[in-house]
Amino acid sequence: MRSELDLESIVSELYSPLYRFAFALSRNETQAADLTQETFLILAKQQAQVRDITKIKSWLFTTLRREFLRGLRSQSTHPEVELKPEHQDELVTDSEVLKASDAATVMEALAGVDESYRMVLELFYLSDLSYKEIAATLDVPIGTVMSRLSRGKEQLRTLLAKTASPSKIIPRPNSRTSL
Amino acid sequence: MNSDAAKEILSAYRSADRDGADPIFHEALNQMESDSELKKWFEEQQDLDQTIREKLASIEPPADLQAKILARIRGEKVRRFALPQVWLAAAACLIVGGIALFYSTRQRGPDRFQEFKSDAMAMVSVQGGPALDLKTPDLSETQTYLRDHQAPRDDAIPARLQSMETAGCRAFVWKDYPASLTCFRLPDGLLLHLVVIDRKAMGNANIPVGFKSVGDWHVMFQQKGEMLMMWATQAPMEQFKQMVVKAGWEGAKGVRGILGVKGVAGVAAVQSEAPPEGASRRGGDRI
Repeated sequence: MRSELDLESIVSELYSPLYRFAFALSRNETQAADLTQETFLILAKQQAQVRDITKIKSWLFTTLRREFLRGLRSQSTHPEVELKPEHQDELVTDSEVLKASDAATVMEALAGVDESYRMVLELFYLSDLSYKEIAATLDVPIGTVMSRLSRGKEQLRTLLAKTASPSKIIPRPNSRTSL
Repeated sequence: MNSDAAKEILSAYRSADRDGADPIFHEALNQMESDSELKKWFEEQQDLDQTIREKLASIEPPADLQAKILARIRGEKVRRFALPQVWLAAAACLIVGGIALFYSTRQRGPDRFQEFKSDAMAMVSVQGGPALDLKTPDLSETQTYLRDHQAPRDDAIPARLQSMETAGCRAFVWKDYPASLTCFRLPDGLLLHLVVIDRKAMGNANIPVGFKSVGDWHVMFQQKGEMLMMWATQAPMEQFKQMVVKAGWEGAKGVRGILGVKGVAGVAAVQSEAPPEGASRRGGDRI
């Protein structure tokens, strides 16, 4: 018998990474917040169907991604995949450039990665899921996750080096309270 | 395994503590011992991963998001446990009886405290700061205002806080109990919030002990005589602890339980939670 989920603890632990993942997908603060809320609401409604508590995290990321894609389909705004093969062969080794970049630059670079690699990268960096959990989340073989991660990271590295600019500051949805 | 194959596998490696035990990485990791180029590549890769994670982690969710999620989940729980009308009718008698008993004894359990905790956090974590009845940098003016509005307050504000400017204060009512909010302006511009309410408002709820984080907030509860006080801030935890422990020590007379410091006690903690949204209307209002 599985006891009822401690939803409040799950929310507390995972709402931030889920929001960041949603933000990476949607590039919109409001939509990211809505997606995050919706995902937890689905968990609350379907918690009786959750058989393995240890898989809650990947379940949440899977659900959020599914909700995002469902929204895209309903809006019929799914973008065409644009391959950028020129990124794949470049190798940039200046890690100082990356350290000088900010979150906005990283997000921008992530958005520029080929769509086939992007989702794996976003899950890797934003959810901290293992490669096995990413494979389960995306329903693809483990080898596919590894090859996409490898290629995606190379693309990301190249894009970061091209776009890194300290002046680009991402609008933070949560500024600290001050009156 | 050639170097390219090793690189592909190692691209999925997060860190030793999380993936070190996974045998799929062992061969590739071992290969680094005899392949200096691979080792250099791997170290750069780990450095890159760490940098990217740190950058992305700086993206913070909206301050009220956790509270909104919890509010919606609580709403869902209520719906989930809704019963058919026949059973509702049968249960109605029990509920009425329960309510009568509830009001006759005025005893309230832990949920009462959880509810207060959530509502208070919703009030102080409103983006842009909580609504205030009176905006003034003068602590004495806030105390006068609260006294004039019969709101509970801490008359023994520690010396350290007395020297700080306030952002202002607010008097409100929570579940028929008058309460107050006073906001201190810390040197770095952040606010330290003090919510005071009659301890009776919590009924017989136990108040858990310890500092806790609620999202990016740090919170602590403290009992002082008949009052329950909630301190909350987004200042660093160490700063907060120093400030509140110090505050508790200085104002130790009649104080019960702070962090196990002798003579200073009564600290309760909010554990990884946040309140439902809303609840910040002005002036003697309810939350």
